[in-house]
Amino acid sequence: MRYLTRRLVHAMLLLLAISFLSFALLQWAPGNFFDDMRLNPRISAQTVDGLRVEYGMNRPFAVRYARWAYSVLKGNMGFSFSYNSPVAPLLWARARNTLLLTSMATLLAWLFAIPLGIWSAVDKGKWFDLACGFSTSALLTIPDLLLFLVLLLLAVRTGWFPTGGMVSTGFDHLSLWGKIKDVANHFALPTVGLAVVTLPVLVRHIRSAMIEALESPFIRAARGHGIPHRRLLFRYALPAAANPLISLLGFSVATMVSASVIVEVVMSWPGLGPLMIQAILSRDVNIVIGVVMLSSVFLVAGNLLADVLLFVSDPRIRVE
Amino acid sequence: MKHRRKLWGALILLAGLHGVVLFAGFFAPYSSSAQDRELPFAPPTRAHFFDIRGKFHAHPFVYGLKDDPKNFGAYETDFAQVYPLQFFVQGSRYRIAGMFYSRLHLFGVGSPGRIFVMGSDGYGRDQFTRFLYGGQISLAAGLIAAAFSVVLGIIIGALAGFYGGWIDDVLMRGGDLFMALPWLYLLFAVRAALPLHIAEWQVFLLLVAVIGLIGWVRPARLIRGVVLSAKERNFVVAARAFGASDAYLLRRHILPQTYGIVLTQMTLLIPQYILAEVTLTFLGLGVGEPMPSWGSLLSSLQQYYVLSSYWWMFVPALLLIPVFLAYYLAADALQERLKTVPL
Amino acid sequence: MLKIRLPKLSAFALVGTIVSSLFVVSTASAQVADRMVTDTPAGHAGGRIAVALRSDPKTLNPALAEDATSRDIIYCMNADLIHINRETQRTESALAKSWSVSHDGRTYTLRLRRGLRFSDGKPFNADDVIFTFQVYLDEKIHSPQRDLLIVGGKPISVQKIDDYTVRFQLAQPYAAAERLFDGMPILPKHLLENAYKNGTFAKSWSISMAPREFAGLGPFRLKEYVPGQRIVLERNPYYWKMDTAGYQLPYLNEIVFLFVPSEDAQVIRFQAGDTDILSSFSAQNFAVLAHKQETAGYHLYDLGPGLEYNFLFFNLNDLSSKNLPQIARKQVWFQDVRFRQAVSAAIDRGGIVGLVYSGRAAPLWSQVTPGNKLWVDSALPHPARSLDRARGLLKSAGFSWKGDGTLIDEHASPVEFSILTSSSNTERTKMATIIQNDLSQLGMQVHVVSLDFSAMVDRLLNSFDYEAAIMGVASGDADPTSEMNVWVSSGGTHLWHLNEVKPATPWEAELDRLMNQQLITLNYERRKRLYDQVQEVVAQELPVICLASPDILVGAKDSIGNFHPAILDPYALWNVEELYVR
Repeated sequence: MRYLTRRLVHAMLLLLAISFLSFALLQWAPGNFFDDMRLNPRISAQTVDGLRVEYGMNRPFAVRYARWAYSVLKGNMGFSFSYNSPVAPLLWARARNTLLLTSMATLLAWLFAIPLGIWSAVDKGKWFDLACGFSTSALLTIPDLLLFLVLLLLAVRTGWFPTGGMVSTGFDHLSLWGKIKDVANHFALPTVGLAVVTLPVLVRHIRSAMIEALESPFIRAARGHGIPHRRLLFRYALPAAANPLISLLGFSVATMVSASVIVEVVMSWPGLGPLMIQAILSRDVNIVIGVVMLSSVFLVAGNLLADVLLFVSDPRIRVE
Repeated sequence: MKHRRKLWGALILLAGLHGVVLFAGFFAPYSSSAQDRELPFAPPTRAHFFDIRGKFHAHPFVYGLKDDPKNFGAYETDFAQVYPLQFFVQGSRYRIAGMFYSRLHLFGVGSPGRIFVMGSDGYGRDQFTRFLYGGQISLAAGLIAAAFSVVLGIIIGALAGFYGGWIDDVLMRGGDLFMALPWLYLLFAVRAALPLHIAEWQVFLLLVAVIGLIGWVRPARLIRGVVLSAKERNFVVAARAFGASDAYLLRRHILPQTYGIVLTQMTLLIPQYILAEVTLTFLGLGVGEPMPSWGSLLSSLQQYYVLSSYWWMFVPALLLIPVFLAYYLAADALQERLKTVPL
Repeated sequence: MLKIRLPKLSAFALVGTIVSSLFVVSTASAQVADRMVTDTPAGHAGGRIAVALRSDPKTLNPALAEDATSRDIIYCMNADLIHINRETQRTESALAKSWSVSHDGRTYTLRLRRGLRFSDGKPFNADDVIFTFQVYLDEKIHSPQRDLLIVGGKPISVQKIDDYTVRFQLAQPYAAAERLFDGMPILPKHLLENAYKNGTFAKSWSISMAPREFAGLGPFRLKEYVPGQRIVLERNPYYWKMDTAGYQLPYLNEIVFLFVPSEDAQVIRFQAGDTDILSSFSAQNFAVLAHKQETAGYHLYDLGPGLEYNFLFFNLNDLSSKNLPQIARKQVWFQDVRFRQAVSAAIDRGGIVGLVYSGRAAPLWSQVTPGNKLWVDSALPHPARSLDRARGLLKSAGFSWKGDGTLIDEHASPVEFSILTSSSNTERTKMATIIQNDLSQLGMQVHVVSLDFSAMVDRLLNSFDYEAAIMGVASGDADPTSEMNVWVSSGGTHLWHLNEVKPATPWEAELDRLMNQQLITLNYERRKRLYDQVQEVVAQELPVICLASPDILVGAKDSIGNFHPAILDPYALWNVEELYVR
């Protein structure tokens, strides 16, 4: 219990530190939101300067940080220059879409990775293991971006899947069931793509951990005892192999907000990814910080989860 | 022993690949920046043994290309232009290992014929040449960045796991902080803040170092997890009771437990960092023109028209597979080899 | 069967009915008469089209909108007093039925159409116009429109003469005065006046507001906005244009704007049939789509070069207050016009057109593109690429070559510099790579430095820490006055040398004189001669080395009728009220 409270306090402090450092980093990069306007020959420099003053961009760093922190407490999370509205409502809508995508993809990936990894480890050196090893290596070498583009190409050429977005043009006129089917149709491809991309690393780690567990002395002893193979696998080897896998699970949760950036951009899925990239390129500072904070919350939560699970599952750690 | 053969096989394969890349100047028919503006996006040149009349020639040859009038941007074979394929030819000058000059190339065809083994890119530059030269940069980058990450990961992860307590907290929270920072932004900021006069390759190495520095967190966490449980093992406790120092324990008993994880991480990281280089180049933060790297070769595929019309631009992606497989094979073999070393 | 008994009308009642109905008819036709009749072929009513946009709009407030997406949507929802017909590039009447100009060219009296209503049904009159310009001119609002309304150093003034007549006064005669009114949508006083008085105008009409709080005089009004996905506009039942058959425009019931962030994704969705119109995409994607044109039910249009011009320029800023000794040293080369002319002579513009734009562009030697038919100087020489001429120019400027071909200056320093481009613009980066290769044939060593857009702009405008850069300007309008700030020495976008207190060179003084003169010359022929001279000075002195202008490319499904794309923005939707679905 003490451990948990200690970690929670740390988590809070960490989030504070992240917000401060991110804010500082964002000021360091040259350029600001109004650069685009500055290059327009029809708008004078005075107008642009006036706008900068109005949005408080000329105030000192500490003041701007304090104002932003206050805005977070009020629930607005700062003000976006691009959208002319508080950041919070923009974030929630997009975050919901992103989380839908990543949670489904993570589930799918783990669902396939566990049996594949275990089977590879058990059948080490045989054809299944080699085939699996080859395909995971192949998938790992292909850049994510390329894979998503190829999937998109597939969608275009075959017409089996929609080529982007979350809903079709006539969405409003659909029944409830029609709406659900429409959204599911649209997110099939991005989800599968994301799952395929996260799969190889998981499989390799699971396989590696299982192999180590299976070759350790106590398993050999248990085998010698005559314990049936399946029980050996799931009740003895798997828990022993759990240690690195738990860290990986924590990592999966931690990256739940940030992992889908590329797939969202390629497939026009309206999540946090495109929002973030556009905000970075146009220097809309408050949106960037908002997204960073949200993904930090997940990061911290994921790591916390992993540490707690490790603590609970591996008795060897508790002896301290 | 079987794993010894496997290990040697993998190492020889890797050495061969790296050797070819090192001597890119010899194996490649052209220089990496030579543009042929008449032939952008030309398909791979086919070598023929039989001419159009069906006659066999022992000496292979290639045909020239001319614009296809029906299809803007495409080419058709010009059977009137015949260029024999020659070996050990004199061509553009290049440096070997940055020191010696040479003009000898393994193969080539007489001008204005072109031999594009892997086709040409949007500027009419030979993709095969650029793949070989690009390997020099990308492989070096991957190795350096991966080494950085893993070394950092070992140090931090071992310290955190071994000492526990507040050291563990500080280091792991530091890791969280690291992962949470908008690294994309950090890279933009770093690149933008650099003075104009740094040589391009230095910029690239700096950026690679930055990615390597960012990437220590996952290996560190994994290693920490293993160290945490390893240090409570009986033999460690026993050694400690015998008066072994922390350093001895780490070196002799605990760290060897992590080798499996370390190797897995390393083999996964090298290709990942090469892929990170693709992302950097995509965002404009990578190596500048006209220096080739595997990242810049692949980045043109992000554009839909390239992906859907010019299939040969995909070949560098496919060629990466054997390169990475060689690494994975070596890693697997190493892992097994180390297993048989008694603790 | 029911027998309907007709009421007996007395003579008075009959006459009264006839008279009153005549009265009703006459006033109704007086209202109908003030509608504008378009002369395009009639189409069918109904239907919906989908168009892709790059991002969400930032605001739907015309006084605050500056980015392209917001402006595209605002265009469909609003109307202006005098409109520029994108096809003919000339002005035509819009909300102002007619207007007259005083002798001295400084007073414009506009007569508004009567009986028009906003999309929420409320009537439109001169009060709305006065209010609109009051908002645009208010310094505290910081509207981008304000700068356009400053003529001769003073903002234009506007007075109400009566409910349907307004008078504008300019401080000096202004050649493009009529064109000012295009892109100045008229705001509804009844909806925005309170916000303006309370000082909350900047927050009004943000995209998070409910559709019924918006109103405009355009063909469509807001129906629905889903952040990150789409914005839906529906037909404005009070629109003031009708076709020759008397049908009230627009034909379409709805327009759906989808937010698709990348050009490739837009092309893919167009190909898949998700969107009906595709506007401004690259030449390479044109080739991909063109293959399937015949069978896929859409057609592509190459409209020839637009108004965008891309150029290479050198840092000629005054660096005395900055600590940039290396760049200052190189400026000695950049400031010599023969150096710039040599660079221009060595650049393979044909290669740029062929490799960067697959041939769908026009090479440029001055800033006015062939697409700008009214203003291009057709007598301007277009010297072919010549490395010999370039070498001759360099030699006369004191440069020479070492044994290995490297170019060195008088102090034997090798000529080496970097070209800055924006990493998000692949075309300009490609141009830089081609130029790098071209100049290497002169013995110059050129590096291409690709930074993200904001970082690049910071160097160009603030720190001046760059040597050369490639930029492009996409003029909003064909008229030269839209480029004043680029060519006038005190202008904010006089990129190669900013913050000039007075013109730094005689030819820049000449440019100032010519540009200011054409501003107030009302006669087109005389203005054309002045502007021709501007182009000649630019081509001779090369403050910017113009490279190429891309063609405007659009595509539409065959089912879209009245589709007449033009090279002025908005290319495909400028006549959105006339579009229909077959």
